[in-house]
Amino acid sequence: MKNFENLFAAWMVVWAVFFVYEVSIARRLSSLRQDIESLKQQMRGR
Amino acid sequence: MSTARSAAILLAKELRSEFRTRELLSATIVFALVIVVLFSFAFDPTAAESRRYGPGLLWISFLFAGSLMLNPSFARERLNDTMDALRMAPISPFAILSAKMLANFIFMSLVEVVLVPVFSVLYNVSLSGVMVPLILVLVLGTIGLTVTGTVFSAISSHARLREVLLPLLLLPILTPLLIAAVEATASLLVEQPALDRTWVALLAGFDIVFLTASWLLCDYLIEE
Amino acid sequence: MKVRYAATILVAGLIFFAGYAALFMAPDERTMHLIQRIFYFHVPSWMAMFTALSLAFIANIAYLATRKSKWDSWGVSAVELGVVCCTIGLATGPLWAKPVWGIWWTWDARLTTTFILWLLYIAYLLLRGLLDDPEKKATLSAVFGIFAFLDAPLVYVSNRLWRTQHPQPVILGASGSGLDPVIGKVLLLCVLAVMGVMLLVLIDRYRLEQLRQEFEELRMEYETLNLEPSSIAKERP
Repeated sequence: MKNFENLFAAWMVVWAVFFVYEVSIARRLSSLRQDIESLKQQMRGR
Repeated sequence: MSTARSAAILLAKELRSEFRTRELLSATIVFALVIVVLFSFAFDPTAAESRRYGPGLLWISFLFAGSLMLNPSFARERLNDTMDALRMAPISPFAILSAKMLANFIFMSLVEVVLVPVFSVLYNVSLSGVMVPLILVLVLGTIGLTVTGTVFSAISSHARLREVLLPLLLLPILTPLLIAAVEATASLLVEQPALDRTWVALLAGFDIVFLTASWLLCDYLIEE
Repeated sequence: MKVRYAATILVAGLIFFAGYAALFMAPDERTMHLIQRIFYFHVPSWMAMFTALSLAFIANIAYLATRKSKWDSWGVSAVELGVVCCTIGLATGPLWAKPVWGIWWTWDARLTTTFILWLLYIAYLLLRGLLDDPEKKATLSAVFGIFAFLDAPLVYVSNRLWRTQHPQPVILGASGSGLDPVIGKVLLLCVLAVMGVMLLVLIDRYRLEQLRQEFEELRMEYETLNLEPSSIAKERP
């Protein structure tokens, strides 16, 4: 039934949106942590 | 100095500086006229359609023209660094804000005084017999527009792209006002005009909420 | 850390169980059958949005009252989550509407209100993006956030009044009839699942914001000590 496609699409939308958003946050978090580490090292180096 | 007195003095200054050149006022009036005229080219309305869409057109042109006109309110101060002078003077922030709100209200009202008769002529909409309630609706709507517009002018004057930002912030907030004003105006332009009290109440409610919010938050708008 | 793991597992379990319940345990609706089950994700996303935006409102007031940057971090995180939930709601709505009403969209009261709120809070995020000074960004967006939240009931009321005067499609059964207790229980489960996800992501977003601030402070310190820009400092979204 075509309704199932819509239902499935809605299900995917909900979790996909949250998932993509969470992944983007997680990536930014880890790269920020890296940057902070490098910065701290730079400061210690001086 | 009391808030009322300092506001009055600042208001006089705002009015004086605008009436010296009147350039903002003229530009705003012309812009509103352009919208009104463009509508007739874009939609080529019949008489019945003019009466149906007229109120919407009127208020859209006020809202757009207003967004343009409200920008310089605070942007001008930023350009000339007069904001610092205002801040250092023994004037309460609410006096500064309310002076600008009143000035903008007066300017916007002048735009409307020109636009409404022009609109009624161009679209053959008769305003006789409904002038008083119409003025009430216009006043309440303009209060809402200028109160929120002045606040957002203060906010966007700190930001980049402030000319684009102001309408972007203002227009979504004003949707209740737009709906209420259009419906109230429409109720006055029908065959049996009768001022719709519900919409007028909504307009008044909108004004009260945002006037109060502006008063409570004015310190944060004026500070450095 | 352990609390976080436990919470994540709990929410994951909720999602799984709620999904199962929504798709298989909930009773079949008379007229709409399968498609009605969208309601089990659609309604919770609105509730999550409302929660997020209310949290944002509280954070905005708290920031103006205390000037502590953590409230600004909560504010922007909550608004972002609110916009995400709103987007989900606006996306799942038409997916339900097309089979049921035959149209993707209609300007009825609830839909229009939600669309306006979506625009309003996107404007909040745009405003923040265009303000450079961190303190101004926090203060002015808090003020705008408060105005936006105060506007929300007015938007709802004006749209309600407006749309009751015009004909509109009748929404069948989507507003939780509540007569069938199973529907109510499944809905509650789904609400808990979506709220759980929202709150977890919110906390992560908050941590990102706090870390960003830590980075900025460190960078400032570096630049003051060394009188030159750090090579690590770049513009980050």
